[in-house]
Amino acid sequence: MTAGLVVVSIIGRVVLGRPVAGDFEIVAICTAICIFLCLPYCQLQRGNVVVNLFFRDQDRRVTRLLDALAACVYALIAFVFAWRMTLGVMDAVRDGDISMIIGIPLWWAYPPAIASFVLLAASCLTTAIGDLKDDPR
Amino acid sequence: MSATYALFGLATLILLLALRFPLGPAMLLVGMGGYATLSGPGQLLDFMKSAAYWRFASYDLSVIPMFLLMGQLATRSGLSSTLFGAANAFLGHRRGGVAMASVAGCGAFGAICGSSLATAGAMAQVALPELKRYRYSDALATGTLAAGGTLGILIPPSVVLVIYAVAVQGNVVRMFEAALIPGLLAVLTFWITIAVYVRLRPEAGPVGDRVAWSERMHALAKTWPIVGLFLLVIGGIYLGFFDPTEAAAVGAAGAAALAWARGALDRNTLREALLGTAETTAMIFVILLGAEFLNAFLALCGFPSYMAELAAESALGPYQILLLMLAFYLVLGCFMDSLAMIFLTVPIFWPIAASLDFGLPPADLQIWFGVITLVVVELGLITPPVGMNVLIINKSAGGVPLRDTFIGTLPFVLAEVIRVLLLVAFPGIILFLPGLLS
Repeated sequence: MTAGLVVVSIIGRVVLGRPVAGDFEIVAICTAICIFLCLPYCQLQRGNVVVNLFFRDQDRRVTRLLDALAACVYALIAFVFAWRMTLGVMDAVRDGDISMIIGIPLWWAYPPAIASFVLLAASCLTTAIGDLKDDPR
Repeated sequence: MSATYALFGLATLILLLALRFPLGPAMLLVGMGGYATLSGPGQLLDFMKSAAYWRFASYDLSVIPMFLLMGQLATRSGLSSTLFGAANAFLGHRRGGVAMASVAGCGAFGAICGSSLATAGAMAQVALPELKRYRYSDALATGTLAAGGTLGILIPPSVVLVIYAVAVQGNVVRMFEAALIPGLLAVLTFWITIAVYVRLRPEAGPVGDRVAWSERMHALAKTWPIVGLFLLVIGGIYLGFFDPTEAAAVGAAGAAALAWARGALDRNTLREALLGTAETTAMIFVILLGAEFLNAFLALCGFPSYMAELAAESALGPYQILLLMLAFYLVLGCFMDSLAMIFLTVPIFWPIAASLDFGLPPADLQIWFGVITLVVVELGLITPPVGMNVLIINKSAGGVPLRDTFIGTLPFVLAEVIRVLLLVAFPGIILFLPGLLS
């Protein structure tokens, strides 16, 4: 997944030197794929922004439980996205959507996205289980 | 009345956030729930087929990962010590000079890095030991660095400005132009603050060693690749050579080249920088996706126009409403992260601001409001109890009581409030450069 980011920056660099037809589209599609691929990693690293209003470090038991709960809901959302995008890719293939200038079939970006959402759901469950297990009593 | 739905949705959102629900998924959940309630689950499910793809596949947004990568590389390659060294050679022999040099270093580092936390962290590593060596008081030393770190998001490139521009569908280039002079003004006001502080308490900021001119020039000369990178990236954007995405790509590549030339780019550093970028990128884009759904829901309710009507009926003048909004940001900033504040409030506050008459054309109003919002939001990074910058600096200072650090930032908070009032009173400070360049 990290290689993806390098690809974006390299493409960006290549784009600079000589104007390639459809460069905007390539960058946009690559960006999308990279970002999708980063989502599960971010969840595993617990990198999402949490607003800490009420709880202190001492309330570890409560916060762990809440975090696990939130992760489960997030897993559900991710799963629904994966399901809907699977239908979305069918639409895109059937309608033959292609990008404006160089005609890249748009559905190319969908399979990695769907895989990412499935992985994201799995990562959420992993962190949820981790939260529950690590319950210090 | 459909605005009730919106208010109910926002209340739910706040409840979820209070229960430690992460921001992005919380916005997604509320947005999805509201959307399904108002236009039916079928519509929502259709929207979900492609919404995520279209949100992420954006040429304009691809600047975010690349500027993040640039900042990550800059942070990990020791550029901060070069910048601080040069600033200290020029300023260190004055009273409070080492602190002033830290501010200058933060400003210069902010010019190649778009994040406040990274700027504060990177400068703390090099400046804190020096400040300790010259026996600066803990409060002044940590306060200066926490405040200086906020220059990271103000001086372009700035990730938060990109996000503001996306939220109001404005022009990123104009925003970058507008933020430069207020950023330099911040450096100046911080210097003045330090000067006043050490005049009142001379023992807090002793003088450092005087450095000979030849050495100063030598230290300055070492900064040229960094200055060059800044001029290339930001100058390129200002003069229209690059669009922001191209500039960000050049910036990331340039930062990698700088790190490599300094021998700091081994496999491990590269890996860490990429992973750090991946994590922050995903964090931001989850929130962006959440904002997409939340805003779709709010728009269905007619919430933006409802807020604007509310403001019009309130019998308050435009400046009173603006001050109320700014005060609200200060309160919010006490417990929320700057990105979260921008995402949550701009879709609600911008329609209000846009409906008020400040005697500015709409495009200028957008820029002016954006920069002022940014300054106030960044102020939240140094106010208690959850000033993220303060926490980071305090952690790296080790052994300094958190209270001292917050006390040390107080004079800077005061300076910031004065600066905000200046920016409100004289829009020209913000609008001069965009006007000149367009």
